[in-house]
Amino acid sequence: MKKWQVAVVMVLATLGSWFAFASTAQAKTYTIATDTTFAPFEFQAKGGKYKGIDIDILNAIAKKENINYKLKAISFGAAVQQLSANQVDGVIAGMNITPERKQTFDFSDAYYTSGVVMAVAKGSSVKNFKDLKGKTVALKTGTAGATYAKSIQSKYGFKIKYFNDSNNMYNDVKVGNSAACFEDYPVMSYGIKNGIALKIVSKQYEAGDYGFAVKKGKNAELLAKFDAGLKAIKADGQYKKIVDKYLHSSESSLTGETASSRTFIGLFTQNLDTIGSGLWMTLVLTVVSIVLATILGMILGVLGVMPGKLGPAISSTIIYIFRGMPLMVLAFFIYIGFPDLIGHGFKIPAFVAGMITLMLNEGAYTGAFVKGGFQAVDDGQMEAARSLGLPYWTAMRKVIMPQGIRIMIPSFINQFIITLKDTSILSVIGIVELTQTGTLIIARNFEGFKIWLMIAIIYLIIITLLTWLSNWVQRRMN
Amino acid sequence: MAKVIVKDLHKSYGDNEVLKGLNLEVEDNEVVCMIGPSGSGKSTFLRCLNDLEVPTQGQIVISGYDLSDKGTNINLVRENIGMVFQHFNLFPHLSVMQNITLAPVQLNKESKETADVTAHALLKTVGLADKADAMPNSLSGGQQQRVAIARALAMKPKIMLFDEPTSALDPEMVGDVLDVMKKLAADGMTMIVVTHEMGFAKEVADRVVFMSDGLIQESGKPEDVFDHPKSPRLQDFLDKVINV
Repeated sequence: MKKWQVAVVMVLATLGSWFAFASTAQAKTYTIATDTTFAPFEFQAKGGKYKGIDIDILNAIAKKENINYKLKAISFGAAVQQLSANQVDGVIAGMNITPERKQTFDFSDAYYTSGVVMAVAKGSSVKNFKDLKGKTVALKTGTAGATYAKSIQSKYGFKIKYFNDSNNMYNDVKVGNSAACFEDYPVMSYGIKNGIALKIVSKQYEAGDYGFAVKKGKNAELLAKFDAGLKAIKADGQYKKIVDKYLHSSESSLTGETASSRTFIGLFTQNLDTIGSGLWMTLVLTVVSIVLATILGMILGVLGVMPGKLGPAISSTIIYIFRGMPLMVLAFFIYIGFPDLIGHGFKIPAFVAGMITLMLNEGAYTGAFVKGGFQAVDDGQMEAARSLGLPYWTAMRKVIMPQGIRIMIPSFINQFIITLKDTSILSVIGIVELTQTGTLIIARNFEGFKIWLMIAIIYLIIITLLTWLSNWVQRRMN
Repeated sequence: MAKVIVKDLHKSYGDNEVLKGLNLEVEDNEVVCMIGPSGSGKSTFLRCLNDLEVPTQGQIVISGYDLSDKGTNINLVRENIGMVFQHFNLFPHLSVMQNITLAPVQLNKESKETADVTAHALLKTVGLADKADAMPNSLSGGQQQRVAIARALAMKPKIMLFDEPTSALDPEMVGDVLDVMKKLAADGMTMIVVTHEMGFAKEVADRVVFMSDGLIQESGKPEDVFDHPKSPRLQDFLDKVINV
């Protein structure tokens, strides 16, 4: 038990320190996180580039103040968590400056002031808060809209349902699952102008200030530069230009998409680059994870059938822990929880965290069936091999393993397919793989059905190819 | 010194004592057949001789190696003891040839080439010269058992243990396997054979050992044991098997 824990910590620490060194060596390239779907503050334009008020303001300020930064688009909730876990240096994501947040973060001067509005489906009869009684309200986690709705929930007696991004929230209202949603005014009004079938039915409540955030007590220099830069772009008129550009123009002029590109094929060719890079990430993650999980699984399987008590105990403990934990929890734990535990600015890149997550989870499943496969080989095989004088490991390698692995092949194929699909869960820690790519594209064009169909078909195609490949290998082995 | 010396051998599984204090010595070139009812501990005894079962108590010295000595390299001991199982236990993923040459090559006893030559010679002795490239599953039970004998012989053992080698065979296959064993005995191999083949025991054994209830009840020359059994248990056992 102790030994493997130490080993895991050592491996992670080595990886982590390597990346930490790598990032300090390049000196002062800040990682700034933003939301993926919060138009007009941030959204992905055609070709995968991010645009929006936040993005342009950040860019203008960075130019003025010579800030080197790398933009990282993840969900709002993940961005906030990563900032508090020190995984990113700053967050600009239409974030309201609130007293609670001030306890964990330091904020810049307000760069925008906005209020919360209630929106309902176009044909809805809900006109005011009173009409919400007994109905469900859709909210996006961690937003000012959510905080406001929560504060009036008991007064108006509605139920709450949370979403991780705006589009799913809008959609839930649109199809009638929820009666209303609460959203920042500019975001809602921009969305409606660009085709979301909702209407705003309330005035603006709880006007709030948007600020750029850093972790409390960290990156003071970055914060000071942001404030200085903000003053400068307000003074020279750039700020007004940016805000006007996004609040008073339609989406297509910003994203570069035209109405004619809204057919299935049109959407596909338009987004080919974005989908391609998401697919590539999915494939890389899958292949790397399959290799690592198979190695780990083989080790666990061999340990599991070793004579004595120690090997099987280690094997079943590891399998128990990592098979029993939901993949998403494990991903969050490794990506956000683990660096928090280590402290000292320890960082794990999302890709490495995702890889380790899949390796442990899929490795545990693999370990379980590898162990089972070895156990399924008749005891007489080991006895015969040993009675010829072959040492345990030789007997294992030459007699038990070849037979066991043959038994396991269908399970391996199954596990490979599961691994491929499980990569989609890693979108929660901000890895832009195929599923996340879908979310991003829909965030700017709201073509949920066509894009998800596209993504589903791509998954089916790769899985089909993977199955063919596995079957071919299986035939070769037999 | 005797080839095999067993002193006060005990073996228990939990509360169940299967061997209750056995003593036996087997001389060089001797063929010992062990008979007795099922569950009398014959197979357990045989498996203790190459450490597939670890005795609870007692001493076994085989080919000069003391098994109860912690310093004894069990792999080295086993190289000198051939074992043939009731269910053959051929390696199904390897050809007949590979089954036979695996251990000598892996243990660097022989080069691949010499091992192949030896294997062909052994297959000839067991009457399966044409089956070198066959897979075990394509062979009959009797053929598989003869390959298993060849496999054990490939390590050039000083002693051979047979654990009911014909019990899982169709009756018409039994003769071929017994013929191979007779040939071995005639060539002077030291053999301990757990068997229900009374005819074979009578014809080939130098000594017949009757086991019952975890103890050796009686032993002696085949004609004494079969024709003049002393203990009532042996008389009873012989009545049953011979009248079948």
